[in-house]
Amino acid sequence: MSEFLETIVDKFTFKVATDRLYNDEGVWAKAEGNQVRIGLSDFLQQRSGDVAFTEVKPEGTLLDFGDEVAVIETIKVSISLPSPVTGKVVEVNPAMQHAPESINQDHYGEGWLAVIEASHWEADRLRLKAPEEYFAMMKVEAEEANRL
Amino acid sequence: MTQTESTQQGRRIVIVPCSGIGKTYGSVSREAAYIVTEDLRPEDTQLVALSMLVLGDENARSEVANNPAITIDGCKLACATKMVQESGGEIAQDYAVLDVYRRYRQLKPQGIAELNEGGLQLAQALAKEIADVVDGVTGGQNG
Repeated sequence: MSEFLETIVDKFTFKVATDRLYNDEGVWAKAEGNQVRIGLSDFLQQRSGDVAFTEVKPEGTLLDFGDEVAVIETIKVSISLPSPVTGKVVEVNPAMQHAPESINQDHYGEGWLAVIEASHWEADRLRLKAPEEYFAMMKVEAEEANRL
Repeated sequence: MTQTESTQQGRRIVIVPCSGIGKTYGSVSREAAYIVTEDLRPEDTQLVALSMLVLGDENARSEVANNPAITIDGCKLACATKMVQESGGEIAQDYAVLDVYRRYRQLKPQGIAELNEGGLQLAQALAKEIADVVDGVTGGQNG
């Protein structure tokens, strides 16, 4: 499978990285041993707009699947992001404090939000979408938004 | 000739804000430009509409080509900065409203046709920063 699934809607190109899973809201989860790194999908960051501020739950915070893990404020909206994994926040990307624009610039790389020590990953991962499934859902949403 | 000397010889700094209609940050950029050119530094600055540069208006292009410019962009497309560069202008300072907002988080801009209080205050704060840059270029003759 290639590195990204890609679609063009109007003048926008949306990419879905194929090496991770996604929740319905567009937060990705990438397993790294017993830890899971999380961040925003390309579609979510483009739809939300340029990020002005990001507040991620601090290290040590315990989260259930779906709990708010971060809030991002963009030029358009403020969005509460649900955690795609149950566990404890063990690392917050320091770039979120001084360079939140990295979410827009490198959402699948340097613009990650946090690392969570997963406590129920095997169960959580079954509740997430595979890249192909998220890609199909995202494409429908993008095309609907373009029609409005 | 230095920039200050040339300004002292009659050149006025051109302020080029974002032309994004229907965008909050574009409205902040224009409001800040009005404050600078009409209230804070009317003797040292002049407003040039980005749309006139886009349309290739000769007077607008001439003003930009022959005077230092300060651009205010409403988004990362940076149309104001790009158009000034394409028009042969010399940019004394470029601003992005989002970066300014990051420095004044308490001033959250909202609204489009009418900015909220936060947006108006953010425009004021940006205008003061621009006025300082104008003073730096002109040597503070009228500041």
